[in-house]
Amino acid sequence: MGDGLCERFGKGEDRLMVRDEYYAGFMQRKPAWMEAFEALKARIAAFVVDYIAIFYLIVIAAYCITELSGYQGSFFPLPWWILLIVVGELIVLWETFGISLGMRVAGIRLRTEDGNTVPFRRSIIRYLAWHISALPAIGCLAILWNKDRLSWHDRMSGTKIEKQRETYKTSIAWYRSSRGITTALLIFFTLLAGVFITEINLHTLFTGASKTGRLWKALFTPDWAVLGEGINLLIVTIFMALMATLFAIVFAVPLSFLAARNLMHGFIGRTVYIVVRIAMSITRSIEPIIWAIIFVVWVRLGTFPGVLALFVHSIADLTKLYSERLESIDLGPVEAIRATGANNLQVIMYGIVPQIVNPYLSFTIYRWDINVRMATIIGIVGGGGIGQLLYHYTRHWKWHAAGTLMLLIILTVWAIDYLSSRLRESLE
Amino acid sequence: MAEAQLVIEHLTKVYERGEVLALDDVSFSVKKGEFLILIGLSGSGKSTLLRCINRLIEPTSGKILLDGVDITKAKTRDLRQIRRKIGMIFQQFNLVKRSSVRTNVLAGRLGYTSMWRSLSGRFSKQDLERTEVSLDRVGLSEKMHTRADQLSGGQQQRVGIARALMQEPELLFADEPVSALDPATSNSVLQYLEQMNQEDGVTVLCALHFLSLARRYGTRIIALKDGKIVFEGLPKEIDDARFKEIYGEDAEEVEIR
Ligand SMILES: Nc1ncnc2c1ncn2[C@@H]1O[C@H](COP(=O)(O)OP(=O)(O)O)[C@@H](O)[C@H]1O
Ligand SMILES: [Mg+2]
Repeated sequence: MGDGLCERFGKGEDRLMVRDEYYAGFMQRKPAWMEAFEALKARIAAFVVDYIAIFYLIVIAAYCITELSGYQGSFFPLPWWILLIVVGELIVLWETFGISLGMRVAGIRLRTEDGNTVPFRRSIIRYLAWHISALPAIGCLAILWNKDRLSWHDRMSGTKIEKQRETYKTSIAWYRSSRGITTALLIFFTLLAGVFITEINLHTLFTGASKTGRLWKALFTPDWAVLGEGINLLIVTIFMALMATLFAIVFAVPLSFLAARNLMHGFIGRTVYIVVRIAMSITRSIEPIIWAIIFVVWVRLGTFPGVLALFVHSIADLTKLYSERLESIDLGPVEAIRATGANNLQVIMYGIVPQIVNPYLSFTIYRWDINVRMATIIGIVGGGGIGQLLYHYTRHWKWHAAGTLMLLIILTVWAIDYLSSRLRESLE
Repeated sequence: MAEAQLVIEHLTKVYERGEVLALDDVSFSVKKGEFLILIGLSGSGKSTLLRCINRLIEPTSGKILLDGVDITKAKTRDLRQIRRKIGMIFQQFNLVKRSSVRTNVLAGRLGYTSMWRSLSGRFSKQDLERTEVSLDRVGLSEKMHTRADQLSGGQQQRVGIARALMQEPELLFADEPVSALDPATSNSVLQYLEQMNQEDGVTVLCALHFLSLARRYGTRIIALKDGKIVFEGLPKEIDDARFKEIYGEDAEEVEIR
């Protein structure tokens, strides 16, 4: 009875309420020392961000100008430490007379002690006072014990730094604010420098195209004699990916529980969580091809080092995907199952597992798909599979044979990509 | 009837995180067969109180006597036996959404089932029969094999009740069981609780938001405010002044029938 629309309405609203209720519980008054520390941290953060931005901008702009003008000498003829000081001065000026990029990032702004815009005279005083106060550091550290979180140069000039939580609602166009212009310059010079650094040369891209004509022709007139060998190695490659994925599951599933923040409580739990998270993120940041090089040295050339490389990287990757899923499970049913008197394993089996099986399967298939692609490349460093043969043929200019293998790889990757997305769709 | 089934003495709970004093020296007792209603604003500590009693949350201090035994010191194994005597239903129903109604209801037997049997999903024949009986009682027999998330809110809460029935509970905790439901459905759900209370003699502790519902179903009311008990008595004793004391000066009573 009465199971209608109305009910659904109520549900949504109520969830919101429950959330707010909980957030209210977590809102805590910070101890004074923490507030002081954060006030200091915000100022230092602003300065560091500005320093890096301006220093980077000067160096990169100078680099671009040298490249463009063909000038041979050093772009900054004076000693380096002078540049460091000049940048510092520039930033102090900037932070005194406007809202700098770093202040924006740190969410702070400069005001008079009663909260108004700072008049020019006070700014000048503040700029000069900064050198007596902040350079020996002591005047800045005063923030830690001053009740109003004021530094010496704040007090001397009658100004203060206040938190600026809400986003700026100013209607100033970007080209009229200094931080907007700086950001624009940063983007512009980075792109320009990028062109020089990576030696982008559209001219040779077009004029050189004709030279590849023979190569293209060779690639598209495959040498069918290597087909048998190619298919053999292709099967090897797919199985390399499969074995690596299957073995990785065995390790990644338990690890994912240890890497799920919402399940790891207490001091020991948190420590384990942090250790696993760090270990996994380091492992994952080493690309499979680098793992392959390591394992080729370790266990010699062949498919085995290739499998190991994919295996290790898959563990880290799957642990991350799995644990993120665990972190977003609904803890309500978990609590309900615990309340029935179930023990820990039963809670996992009946409260958690049903929520994660399908996503876990889906991630695993996705990872297998990636492993197949990776397995074709790993051969280049000696990790076995079809990639190794492809590399061999290209090094010996056997373009017809290489073309055959490339065709096989493209077909397989396409087929597995299709298969994997269909499988994952059915798991939705 | 006279013996107190549940006695709470000086129960206090402080959440470390946020340093919230959620329960402040709460003492009361519950007799067997009562339908006790907990009222109070959001954040007054109703959920915390219920969860401390079955130790889903560890109380900071105080005693909880269930049939004369202090359960605040119970070890894991005993805790299991205590929890299975206490059925619990929730505001958000807390069903495993991807599982079938049957699996959800069977989960109510986990406290009675050995680890190996439950891991392989081999529940006893009696348990399977019990599932049918429980679902029949809440009028959902034909939904046995439906996935839980395909049911309406009212139906999901009834599955929650069936899960609690599986525990053959002596006590039933209901944490705002109808706050996510419309008025008509609310009454039907509360009637199931009333039935359990009157026919099976299950003692009910139910947190509610609406006083009109509390008056209609409760045999006794305890009101919480900022973690303290501010009223304890019969439903009819709550007059306008008391109401304002519990809910604040600006509150207006809303009727729900
Ligand atoms: N997990 C938690 N951590 C910190 N504070 C909490 C937590 N759960 C609840 N609280 C706080 O404890 C108090 C009581 O909450 P609760 O028992 O949920 O009240 P009610 O169920 O009556 O709305 C509230 O102030 C709430 O914010
Ligand atoms: Mg609550």
